[in-house]
Order: sequence, then structure tokens, then C-alpha cells
Amino acid sequence: MSRYANDRSLRRLAAAGLVLILGAWLGALPGSGARAGDFAPVLPGRPLVFPADTGAHPAFRTEWWYITGWLIDEAGRERGFQVTFFRSATGVGQDNPSRFAPRQIIMAHAAIADAQTGHLLHAQRSDRALDPLAGAAVGRTRAWIGDWELALADGEYRARIAADEFGLDLALLPPGPPVLNGEAGFSQKTPDPRNASYYYSRPHLAVRGTLRLGEHAHRVTGEAWLDQEWSSEYLPEEAEGWDWIGMNLHDGGSLMAFQMRRPDGSPIWSAGTLRDGDGQVEALAPEQVRFRPRRRWTSPRTGAEYVVEWDLEIAGRSMALVPLMDDQELDSRRSTGVVYWEGATRLFEAGREIGRGYLEMTGYRERPAGL
Amino acid sequence: MLSIENLTKRFASSADRPLFEDLSLTVAPGESVAIMGDSGVGKSTLLNCIAGLEPVDGGRIRLGDTELTALDEDAFAQLRRRALGFVFQAFHILPHLTLAQNVALPLWLLEVGEAEADRRARAMLARVGLEGRADDWPRHLSGGELQRVAIARALVHGPALVLCDEPTGNLDPERAAGVLELLFERLRAAGAIAILVTHSRAAAGHADRILRLTEAGLVPDADQALRTR
Amino acid sequence: MSAALRHVFLASLRRRRLATALSLLAIGLGVTLGLAVQLINSAALEELGRGMRLLAGEADLQVVGPRGGFDDALYPALAQRSEVRVASPVLEIEARLPDHEGETLRILGIDLFRAARVTPLLRMEVETPEGASDERRDQLAPLRPDNLFLSPAAADRLGLAVGDRLEVQVGVRAVALQVAGSVPDADQALAVMDIAGAQQVFERIGVITRIDLRLAPGVSRAVAQQRLNDELPPGVAAMTPAESESEVLGLSRAYRVNLTMLAAIALLTGAFLVFSAQWLSVVRRRSELAFLRALGLDRAALRRGLLVEGGALGLLGGLLGVVVAYLLTALAFRVIGGDLGAGFFRGVSPELHFAPVLTAVYLSLAVLAGLAGAWLPAREAARMIPARALRSGDEAEAYRAAPRWGLVVAILAVAGALCLLPPLGGVPVFGYLAVLLILVGAVLALPGATPRALALLRPGRSTPWRLAKARLTAAPGQVLIAGAGIVASAALAVSMAIMVFSFRGSVDDWLTQLLPADLYVRASDSSASGYLDPDAVSRVAALPGVERVRPVRFETLRLGEARRAVTLIARPVQRSSGLPLVAGMQRPGWVGDGARPAWISEALADRFGLAVGDPLALPLRGEADPFRVAGIWRDYARQQGAVVIELDDYRALTGDLRTNDLGLFLAEGVAPEAVMAAIRDALGERVSEMILPGELRTMILEVFDRTFLVTYLMEAVAVLIGLFGVSTTFAALATSRRKELGILRHLGLRRRQIGALLAREAALTAGVGLAVGLAAGGAIALVLVEVINRQSFHWSMDLRLPIGVLVAFGLSLILLSALAAHLAGRQAMRQDAVVAVREDW
Repeated sequence: MSRYANDRSLRRLAAAGLVLILGAWLGALPGSGARAGDFAPVLPGRPLVFPADTGAHPAFRTEWWYITGWLIDEAGRERGFQVTFFRSATGVGQDNPSRFAPRQIIMAHAAIADAQTGHLLHAQRSDRALDPLAGAAVGRTRAWIGDWELALADGEYRARIAADEFGLDLALLPPGPPVLNGEAGFSQKTPDPRNASYYYSRPHLAVRGTLRLGEHAHRVTGEAWLDQEWSSEYLPEEAEGWDWIGMNLHDGGSLMAFQMRRPDGSPIWSAGTLRDGDGQVEALAPEQVRFRPRRRWTSPRTGAEYVVEWDLEIAGRSMALVPLMDDQELDSRRSTGVVYWEGATRLFEAGREIGRGYLEMTGYRERPAGL
Repeated sequence: MLSIENLTKRFASSADRPLFEDLSLTVAPGESVAIMGDSGVGKSTLLNCIAGLEPVDGGRIRLGDTELTALDEDAFAQLRRRALGFVFQAFHILPHLTLAQNVALPLWLLEVGEAEADRRARAMLARVGLEGRADDWPRHLSGGELQRVAIARALVHGPALVLCDEPTGNLDPERAAGVLELLFERLRAAGAIAILVTHSRAAAGHADRILRLTEAGLVPDADQALRTR
Repeated sequence: MSAALRHVFLASLRRRRLATALSLLAIGLGVTLGLAVQLINSAALEELGRGMRLLAGEADLQVVGPRGGFDDALYPALAQRSEVRVASPVLEIEARLPDHEGETLRILGIDLFRAARVTPLLRMEVETPEGASDERRDQLAPLRPDNLFLSPAAADRLGLAVGDRLEVQVGVRAVALQVAGSVPDADQALAVMDIAGAQQVFERIGVITRIDLRLAPGVSRAVAQQRLNDELPPGVAAMTPAESESEVLGLSRAYRVNLTMLAAIALLTGAFLVFSAQWLSVVRRRSELAFLRALGLDRAALRRGLLVEGGALGLLGGLLGVVVAYLLTALAFRVIGGDLGAGFFRGVSPELHFAPVLTAVYLSLAVLAGLAGAWLPAREAARMIPARALRSGDEAEAYRAAPRWGLVVAILAVAGALCLLPPLGGVPVFGYLAVLLILVGAVLALPGATPRALALLRPGRSTPWRLAKARLTAAPGQVLIAGAGIVASAALAVSMAIMVFSFRGSVDDWLTQLLPADLYVRASDSSASGYLDPDAVSRVAALPGVERVRPVRFETLRLGEARRAVTLIARPVQRSSGLPLVAGMQRPGWVGDGARPAWISEALADRFGLAVGDPLALPLRGEADPFRVAGIWRDYARQQGAVVIELDDYRALTGDLRTNDLGLFLAEGVAPEAVMAAIRDALGERVSEMILPGELRTMILEVFDRTFLVTYLMEAVAVLIGLFGVSTTFAALATSRRKELGILRHLGLRRRQIGALLAREAALTAGVGLAVGLAAGGAIALVLVEVINRQSFHWSMDLRLPIGVLVAFGLSLILLSALAAHLAGRQAMRQDAVVAVREDW
């Protein structure tokens, strides 16, 4: 899913990198220069082929590999984590023989949710694709910026992040083939089929590796979720933000669901994918997915009000989302200006926890006064 | 008490020829002695030797308990500051200082505060008859008045010894008499020892004792001996 | 003592107002000039250095190479090294702006993702044109190749706003860029764009000029620097920002040091004046000081009192100088900019700040000058025997001065030896010391030289003449006092005149040799983005009236272990004219031992210890190409050193066919103006610059004269003050000799004859002083040319004597001294001679 707040909340964009990403990311919005027509269109009926489609698709404007999950350390302490690599085609420099020609931009982002810290630790990097310093390889997953890397080799993913405050070195083993979202991987985002992406998920990745917090390294295991999605025209202008979940269900199944919101909070579109414990996949139509706010939390930093608990209606079942902790807001105003909520969350049905995963909410921060 | 024992001084140009040799003299506290003699016999040099302004070639000079001839130049300078007063033939009144400042000069050198020095200088000027003229400049004064300022300056810091070199040499006889009277009156009032070098018998006559410096040494003045007798 | 100090000693300064005022003026002048030069320079340097530091940002090391840049493949290689935390590549272009009268703009092509972590001040802010909707902001603007981001200072200077277009010159083409936003945090005039765009627009694909490095935590900078320098290709170096800064600042150092030294000379003149004034004052106050000694003032206190007089003069003069220096500096910043017209700090707009340390240093120098001037007189006064000085007529004592030939010879010998020593840290300290010693030696030679000089004169018939001779022979101290000032001012004026005259003549000759063509064409300054491509060159060469052309290519290379920047000049040499060689040959006999010929400038020869025939490796294409020194030539333009090679060799090795300057030789009878018009048509008026060698020469000599204008002015003022000092000295002398002159009047000399006597004494004194001063000046000029210039700037020059100037200067000095003395004598004789004799204190 696309993970950031929209253009209007990006007033104080400071550091160069993320600004660009977001600009490119939200390319469908006016003012971003390049037109969707400059990039390959997302059309229904294109079969996804693995492992070739785990690699990058540079002809499309945007692409990401998005890992979220829960970790447990030797002491039994649970934390959420998130590792993302973005690729963004700029449409700039196609004719430029310079090695610096900024045709593709790579960005990486990582965060740790620790209930004891009470807020998120996060770090990011961005760079232009310039071999061998940064890039996203075609044919098999490999996206990297310096020593931050996500790569697929011998059927196992490896994610390495080395930030000042924390570090991750994780091996992630998928238990089975990817789950295709939407119509065999063609995922529509609005009633207009032009707003769509190619989208597959890999739930129930078995995680083992090391989590470093400051100077202390912890051996961790856990379960994670990987999304890969690429698109050229994603968001319509009327969209204010979105809510998204990716949940590993305890019965071995998985649930992905999202809704696009208007400024008044009403959904433009919603959809999802439910796989049961036996591996049966059901693509959920808009009317089968309902997000209903249950509890709100106001950030003391930004004043943004997030719905941290939701009631869900998924294919006729009633479920509830409860976060690991309320404060999983990403406040990057000082660096990139981006503010959103992304956090480890539990999924309940009939008062019983049936799964764990991540919830993402964007577009909740109002335009700051005077800007 | 000032005592001079076997004082010898040779010419600067020829070390063999003594200017005077084995001079001895004792002056009691409060006593004034006039030294007369022919030109070139060494009267002023003797005075300079006593003042430490010229080195001696032999003998000892003592003022009270202090052996002057044993002092080095700077110690002597300090002693002069404290214990000696001078009256010169040429007055040596600094033209760019007021009368009060000229008189205060020895006090300044003794690090007396400026206000205190000024007060004492004015008092002293009053005692030499120059009351009310303390802020005048020397160029407005006659020779006799200038020498009165010099007398005030020589006595303002209460010296034990006052050296006078032809104090009336530049004055006409009438003025000279007035200055001499004042000088000796003040000297007696101060109780200082005074050595007076002069050609003038009139001047010498004010002293308690008159000596003549001759090639044979210091001898009592015949006239005075006669008169006393 | 304090009351006595105030009323007796310090008050004496008030009584001799003219002498005091002149001493104050001289010391004040020295402080003003010295401090102003330092203030202006330190403000400009501070500004320049600050700019460089800001732009270096958090870089620990900067990898730099030739000015033209180096292979950008080095960037990924360096960025991946374990010592490196972040590497940020930069392509810096000095873009010529055809629509801004050929002005240039510094454009930094950067990778914004990298620069954000090393040089965050170069942050580009996308802005939308006034009135346009914010929604239309183009987030990709910083990456677009034709977008430019201007710092506020640059936008201001060029009068550009967001949305405007700015044409930059590439070769002889003009390319339009769009102002897409600002560089809000940069306070210098510069522009930033994407590095890929810069490479594309300016045709520099594959080239960068710098890599800023931040090192990984725990990596020592020194170790990393050493390791990188061992592995970097020849001609590319890793430098610390401080080293880069000092490399740039070092260029102007010799110039600054020399100006500072001139200020020191003014201070020295001040010390001489204090000396004369104090000496005379002590002579006149001889009996007063003796009387004070009689009153019990000890020697130390007397010396202290007299030193305090000198110190007070120094302090007052210093304070005066400080105030004027700050005013002058403020004025200079407003009027001529921060470089005193010498062109070292173009584009820097410094601000005046109070510099406490510098101010204190100059104040203490001033006090020191005052104390130094008062030292000898104070010592002399403390030495006198009060009993003798109390008697009148003792002044002659003070004018006794024994000849001290032994000391003079020893001092001059030491001066000679000092000239053989190498500079300290690039500053010819020993040369300056030698100048000082020569000056001291010359002054000390005065008493000895006086009787000798007088003995050479015919015995005169007139009474004043005989009296004057007798007086000076018997009292050479009088010459010492009055003549010291003359010697000092004459020596300094003469030496500077000779040096500047020699320098200017040599520069003139050098220009004639270096500019043999009839007309010069270029696309821009060689450091900027314009150049002539082969097509442009052949188009110009084919114009009617052009007989042949001589292309020149400029580049900057880094040479040797220290990888210091030197200028490379590629041009035809052996088949052409005009290399001002001082050693070696323009057409060396040897060919084909694998090495190609190179002709190096004197500065390069000095800095690298190279001689004709030595091998020299020039990193022209990332590897060391073998050359051999064929000759050494004189270069007044590039202190950092320059090397000339054959253009054909350069092109063969680098494949770079660009031309910076094109010299045109015209056919007989062809007017350059017609050819110039044709060139404008052929190349385009906006993208080419032309100059006639005559104009260029005039321009360069104008710059030369402007650079030395400060020198001329200081010299003139110093000489003027020196002369005033001499005249007050004579006036004071005349006053102190009133008695003697009164006796002469009694003996029957007429008033006029007394005036004549004094004038003759003065003329004789000035003559002796001038003779000694000329000799000393010649010697100092030699030191300036052969030691100081050579060591500061590494260039030689041919010594030339400005005979006319020297003769005029000498004659006027003697006449002025005589006149001053004559007037002083009349003043002194106005009082009744009888009074003067009788007055006896």
C-alpha cells in the first residue's frame, strides 16, 4: 500500500530525498511534472510471473517492497518492525548519458515499535539509483542503498538496516507462494480502473535474525508480511488518505484490506484479500470491506487525531483492531515533514485475538494553520 | 650631626692631583657653617661630595647614624630625597610649574599625596613671604622672590641638612640681605644643619661658624676668630 | 612619583607640541595603515574562509583534482570505502553569463541526496513563481537538468526571480536555464543544480571537480587522508577543508605580509621621530633633570619617567591610529571593497568587526615604538653626572658621539648573512630583519661618516661655513639626532622607489614578450565556462586578414607529493615566440628520450626545487606523464607556479581540443578593428571577448599601479613626516643653542649669518644623511628585490635605478632641511641675544 500522507500535508518538507519520493509517489497529483503517460500503464490481465516479478519494474512510476511484522526477543519481549524500500521513476534524465542521471530514486525506511519506549524509532535513507551505490534490480528482489538492503536469494529474503539508533539483520522465509491481491494481482484503487496497481503479498514470513537497539543486540524471531506493489497512476485527486491492514491470522490464513478516504472521511473505494487457513483466497469487493472508527487518539506532538481502534466488517465477519500501543505516529516534520500512523496491531474477532499485523493510516493531520 | 673625616677628592682630569685632601669637619645639629674660599679651590665640589652628586676619592662623611660615603648612588638619591635640601645660585626653579608645584616637588618625590603636598607647599610659601602667590608662574617673579621659593622648596620636607651654593650670587646686595635673613631665620626655625658655600662675607656672616677652604684644608676664618675673640 | 611623573615628565610633552604632534602622527600613521590593512584583510579572509567552511559543511575531507575536474568513476569507488560514511560529489562550474556583461556565476552541481548529509546549506527549495498556485509546485524540480536554484545573494545580484530564465555560456553557445527556486541557507552568491544536469548542460559528462567526504565513526582523519592519498590517481588529492582554505587564502598572504611590513616601516619612522624628539628634549632639560637628581630622584625613576614619556607618545599615537584605522576600514569597505584594489577577494563582501586581539597588538606595537624611541635618550639622561649637568654650558656633552665602525660592520655583516637564509613559512622574515639591520647600521654609521664626509669638502672661506663644519665635526651627535630621521626616510623612500621602478619595468618587458600577437580572442575567462572549440578556432583563423592564430589552453594541475595546485598552460612554444626565459632554452636540442619538454615558472622551480633538465611528471589524464624541464621562465601572474607545455603534446595526451585564449597575428596593414568586427559576426557578440595587447598591457599596468598606490601613499606620508621631524629637530636644536648663538652674535656675527650658519649645518647634515640614506636605500632595494620579493612571490626582476626621481628627491630633501633650519634659526634669534646669554639656568 502506499504509505504516506498526501501533498497537502507536506508543507515543511525539508530534507531533499523524501520530498522527491513523495512528489513522484503522488505523481497523479497536479504539479508533479511527469505525467502518468510517460510510464507504463497498469492493465488487468497481465499475469504475474515469479520470481521475475519479485524484481523491480523500472518502467512503472512507483514501486515498493514493504515488510511489516512482529518480533519476539530472547526475553520474550514483543516489538513491531517495518522495513520498506521504494523505487520511484522520475521521468527525468532519460536522454542524459551522465552516470548521475536521476532516472530512478531509491528510498528506504525502517521503524521499530516498542511498547516500553512508547513511541516509534525510525530512520530513512534516499539516493538516486547509481550502481553500485543504490538501486533496485530487475528479475529478482534486490533493492539497496549503501549497506541497507532487501534481497531475495535461495527463496529467502534478507533485510539489513543499520541506523544510528537501531539495526536489523533479518532472514525472512516465505512459507509458500505469493498471495495475489485483487484480480490475479491487478488491484484497483478507485472506481476508475486507471487508478490501479500490480500487487501481491507474502504473509506468514518466518523471521529470525538480530535486532540492535542502541548498542544492544537481541536475537529475535517472529512473523512478518511482505507487500510488493507497482503502479504508474495511483491516487485520485479527491483522496485525502487511506487506511490499510495486513494481518497474519493465527489459523494460517491472512487478511489484507484497505479503504481510500475523502476529506470528509467517507470511503471512495475499499477492497481486500482474505485467505483462509487452507489456502483458499477470496478477493473482497468494495462492499465486503468496511472500516468503522471505534477509538481515537490525539497525538501530543502534532495534534493529529488518529483512529487507533477500528471495527471491521470483512466478508460479513465482525472484527476489531487494537494497537500494540497508541503512539505509533511517525513524526518526521523535522526531516521530511511527513506525519502518519503506522503500527503493530492485533486483530480480534468475538473478543479473541485471531491475528497480528500492521495498520497504516494517512491523511489525518490537518493542514497546519498559517502555512 | 654631620661629620667629615679625611675627605679626599681628586681632579677628574688628572687622578694624581688632589683638589683637596684629608678634609675633616664636624657640624653640630642645628649649627650653620659657611665655607669661603678662592675660586676653583673646590667649595662647590665639596658641597656636591656631601650631597652625593660627585663621588669621593677617600675619607668618610656621616650624617647622624648614616655613613653617606658607604651608600650607593640610588640609596644616596633616596637619602637626598628625605634628608637633604638645596639652595642654588641659579635658583633651578622649573619654569613650567607654579610656585606651589615647585615647592611641592620634593614632597612629590617622597610620594606625599598631591593634596597634602600642596597644602604644605602653600604653608611653606606663606612662611617665606609669598602668601597668595602660590599659583603664579616663575616667569613673573624677581630673582629675590625666586630664591625665596627655592628656600621654601629646600625646607618643605624638613631636611636634616641644607646645602646652599652661593644662594645670593645672582642677587643685588639689597635683595641678598633680605634673602639671607629669611634663609637663616627659616633654617633655625627648622633646626637643620646648614652648609653655605659663598664668596660673600656678608652672607657668611649669618652663619654660626665660618671656615675657609684653602690648599691646606679647612681652616677657621681669621676675621670671625677675631670678632669672636 | 605619580605627581612628579605627571607634572614634570608627561607635562613636557605638552610643552613641545609640534614635536609631540609629529611623533603622534608618525606612530598613528603606522598603526592606522598596519591595522587597517589587517582589518580589511582579516575581514575579507574571514568572510572568504567562512564561505568556504560553510560550503565544506560537515565534510572531513575533500577530494580535489585539476580545475577541469577528474573522472567521476572515482566517486562510487570512494563512496564504497569503509572509511567513508558519506561521499557527496560536486561539479563546480564558473558559468559565464552572456547577458550579464560576461559576469560569471558559481554553479555547484550536486547530488541532493548526498549533499543533504554533508553540505546541508546547499539545500534547494522549490518555489513557484509569484501568483502561481502552490499546488503546482514541481517536486522533481531539483532533479531537472535545466533547473537552477539561486542563493538570495545571487538572485539579488543578477536581479532574477523564480520562473526567470538565465542564459549560461557553454563554449561559444548560450544555454538557457530556469530559476526554479532558491538556496535559502547559502549566504554567498552561488547557484545549485543537479549534478547530472550540470554534466549534461556544461558538456562535462563523466567529470566532477570535488568529492566531499564524511568519514565513518572512529576513523581518524589523518589516517584516512594518508590512505586515500596513497591510492588516489596522480593529480587528485584528499585535503582537509582547512587545507583547501589555506590553499586559497595563501595566495594573498605574501601581498598581505608586504603591506603589513610597510606599516611596520611607518611605525619605525615614528620610533625614529620619538627618538629625535626625546633626545633633544633630554638635552634641553639637562639641567632640570640634573636638579631633579639632586633633589633625590634616582636613576631608575628618571629613566622610567623618560620612558613613560615615550610610551605615552606611543599609546596616544596608537589610539589615534586605531580610531582612524577603523574609520578608514569602514570607508574602504564602502568604497573599494575588501581587497585594497588588488583583486584577491573578488565577490566577497566583508563586514567590519571590532578585532580586540589585533587592536591590542597594534596598540602595543605603538607603545613599543614609543618606548624604543625613548630608550637611548632615557639611558643617556640617567647616565649623566648631575653635578656636572647642573652647571650650564654642558649641552655639548650630549652631542658627543663616537664613531662605531666596528659595530656598523658587524651589523651589516649580520644583515648580509640574514639575506642568505630561506623564508620562514613562506614569509621572508630574515629579509625584513636584514632591512631593519641595514637601517640601524646606517644610522649608527652617521657619526663616523660625518667627519669623513666633511673632510672631503673644500675648506670654505665664509665664517658660517667654517663654523658649521667645525660644529658638526666636533658634535657629530647633532648629525646623528637630526640625520637619523633623514637616513630612515631616505633609505625607505629610495629603496621602495628602486624596487617599484624595477618591478614595473620588468612587468612591462614581460608583458611585451608574453603578448606578441596583434589581437586576442576568448570565450570567457579561462576559469569560466566559455571556451573556443576547434570549429570556432578554424572559423576565426579563416577570416580575411588573419595570418595565423596561436591557441592557448589553461588548466590547473596538482603536482608532487603535496599535490599543490599549479597552472598548466598549453600553447605552441618551440615554433612560436615569447617565453620570458631566465634559464634553459625555448628550443631544447634534445628530442625523444620519451619525455616531452616543459617550461616551468620561477615559482614552480622554487617550490619544487626543479632545475633545467630535471624530469617532471604531469598528471594530465589521471596518470603521470613524463616531461622534462626545458626552461625556466619569469611569471608575474601566478604565484602558485605555472608550467608551459606544447599544445600539441597536451592535445595528444588528453584529447582535449578546447582553446581558452586565441592570439591572432594579422597580415600587414590589416586594422585589428575590422577583424574584431568580423569575429563578432562569426562567433556572436555575446559569447566572445576580445582585447588588443596594448589595452591589456595598459590594464595590467593600471592594476599594478593601483596595487602599489597604497605603497606610494604610505611612502609619501612617511617621507613627509620624516621631513617635518627633521625641521622640528633643527628648530629645537636652534632653541637649545640659543646661548651659543647669542655668544656668536656678541662676537659680531650678524643675524643673517646665524641663519646662514644654521642652514648650512642643516644642508650638511641632510647631505650626509642623504648620502648614507641613499647607500642604505640601495642596499635595502637589493634585499627587497633579491630576497623579499624572491621569497614571497618567487619572481625575479631586473634592478633599475630611477635616477631622475632619486636626484630630485635628494635635492629637495637638502633644500627643505636647509630652509627648515633657516626658519628655525630666525625664530630662535627673535629673542634678544643678550638675554639668551645671561639666562643661566
